[in-house]
Amino acid sequence: MTKPSPLEKSWAYTEIVKDHFLNPRNFLMGDERKFKADGEGIVGNPICGDQMLIKIKVGAKNGEEYISDIGWKTYGCASAIASTSALSELAKGRSLEDADKITAKEICDFLGGLPEHKFHCSILGHQALHKAIEDYKHKKSPLAEAKDK
Amino acid sequence: MIYLDFSATSPLDPSAKKAMLEVMELSERRLLGNPSSLHTPGSRGRDLLSSARKSVANLVNASPNEIIFTSGGSESNNTVMNIFDSCPIFVSKIEHPSVLAPAEEHAEPLYKIPVSSEGVISLDFLKEKLDFLLESSPKKKILISVMTANNETGVLEPLKEVSTLIKEYREKGLKKLYFHTDATQAVGKIPLDTKSLGVDYLTISAHKLGGPVGIGALFVRTGAPYKPLILGGEQENKRRAGTSNALLAAGFKAVAEKSFSTPKKYKEVAKLRDWLASEILRELPTAKILTAVGIEREGTKETIVGREAISSEQSSKGELSLSLERSKKTSRISGGDHEGAQSTAGVSRGALRSARLDDDRNPTEVSRSEKDSDSSQYGKSSNRSEEIASRPSKSLPNILNVSFPSAEGESTQLYLDLAGFAVSTGSACASGDLEPSHVIMSMTGDAEIAHNSVRFSLGLDTKKSDLKKLIKTLKPIVSRLQSISTIKLKEQP
Repeated sequence: MTKPSPLEKSWAYTEIVKDHFLNPRNFLMGDERKFKADGEGIVGNPICGDQMLIKIKVGAKNGEEYISDIGWKTYGCASAIASTSALSELAKGRSLEDADKITAKEICDFLGGLPEHKFHCSILGHQALHKAIEDYKHKKSPLAEAKDK
Repeated sequence: MIYLDFSATSPLDPSAKKAMLEVMELSERRLLGNPSSLHTPGSRGRDLLSSARKSVANLVNASPNEIIFTSGGSESNNTVMNIFDSCPIFVSKIEHPSVLAPAEEHAEPLYKIPVSSEGVISLDFLKEKLDFLLESSPKKKILISVMTANNETGVLEPLKEVSTLIKEYREKGLKKLYFHTDATQAVGKIPLDTKSLGVDYLTISAHKLGGPVGIGALFVRTGAPYKPLILGGEQENKRRAGTSNALLAAGFKAVAEKSFSTPKKYKEVAKLRDWLASEILRELPTAKILTAVGIEREGTKETIVGREAISSEQSSKGELSLSLERSKKTSRISGGDHEGAQSTAGVSRGALRSARLDDDRNPTEVSRSEKDSDSSQYGKSSNRSEEIASRPSKSLPNILNVSFPSAEGESTQLYLDLAGFAVSTGSACASGDLEPSHVIMSMTGDAEIAHNSVRFSLGLDTKKSDLKKLIKTLKPIVSRLQSISTIKLKEQP
């Protein structure tokens, strides 16, 4: 593939982006309340053109909490949809600690790159996941404390 | 690929291709020189230029010496703004960036004319500011630049009324008041006549007509102020430096001649466009139509714009007040035989009729917001345009702008592209500067409506079968985007 000159801003998405845009993974259709989650996070603003909701289910294996299932909704452009889909793939099965370390760059690399001006979209995805994890910890904490006592 | 993006650029017309191939042939055979050269090959170039100039002049009822060839619409617009350096300049808020940006650069001060929810400029704002200039600086050179039709929604601006207003204020004492219109989208779609429009400057682009990209024209009325933008040559009668482009001029000529008769043919395109709008509303009832279109409903024709279809019964009296500015007859573009749809912005047909009756110097000023015109002088205000009284609007025959709630426009556009349809969007994601369409923002003040907007622009050869395929593809795409969206659709009525 020839690289466009810097004068011609690239609108082109990679095949992986196209795939995740056309066949998004783990997305929630219709009423997202049907997906019973342990934590959820929403970032972005429709006024800015992008908004993402991430919902996670948390399980435990080998004494470690991990993301056993993930679902999402996105309002936004192709890049926003594909990057949320990519994030869901990256996060599923990971320990909470590991999943919380997912960076925008990791999402971007997973997709084989995004046009430069689209980078902000993938940064949103990872922020939404962070919020979902925080939400889970927050919801869990009183219970955890009660158990400890 | 089904191409529905004619307003971005039109496919090259075979007549333009043929004309240009012939000129290329001449050049290859050493028979074509620089049109500024005195020798025979040079004179061939001159002939090509002057016959193209005649055809373009004829298209807009101008004389050939009033036509300056430029590199296109953007240069023509920049040229006009440059003439009015350090002068008061009026532009509509929904002008093309090639008017807005140079106007920001040159104007002192810049007056941005607000528009109604349908995209029609506020004449009251214009009057108010002209009254002020009449008091404060009657001797200044002043420019009013209002586009003939908007490139995103197709709305036609009331040029005739602006022209009448300008005449009025010239007589009152603003002797150096001038009028420019960017007719880039309108040429060839509706009849245009520089004389009856009373414009001093008019912008034309060749590629919107099926001509080549890289050439356009600026009409400059004899006697209107002029200053070249590009210096360093005597071409175009010392009005635009740079080697004259006989090749592109030949392509321009071919489509200019054709375009004289196309407005009639576009009436059929308007019917097709209206049909598309009604089908979209039938399949996707939450869609907001942002272009004035005619909709057939139960045998009667009604018109809508700026909201979901609202039947006569549903329209409330509250909305009525928005639509009764001093209602002169709907703006007519020179000659005025374009039968584009009139929109009523949710007003019942009865109300529209009474608005028209008020026409004859019996203005029915209803609940018009004063603060809007005051605070939006420099275009920085975020006033909702609904506050501005609107008038029945008309649109170009070939543009349909629709906003699909909860479905972001770039996603819709790309899904359509992957399915074989080329369309445009007003979404920020597609714009590069991450700002949603300034046109739809000025009309609605609603970023979501702008982000979710999709523009379908039809050509003379667009077929109904193409649009049927579009509808079939569009419905599942939009429905799916809506169902995975974080924004919930409002309950359907």
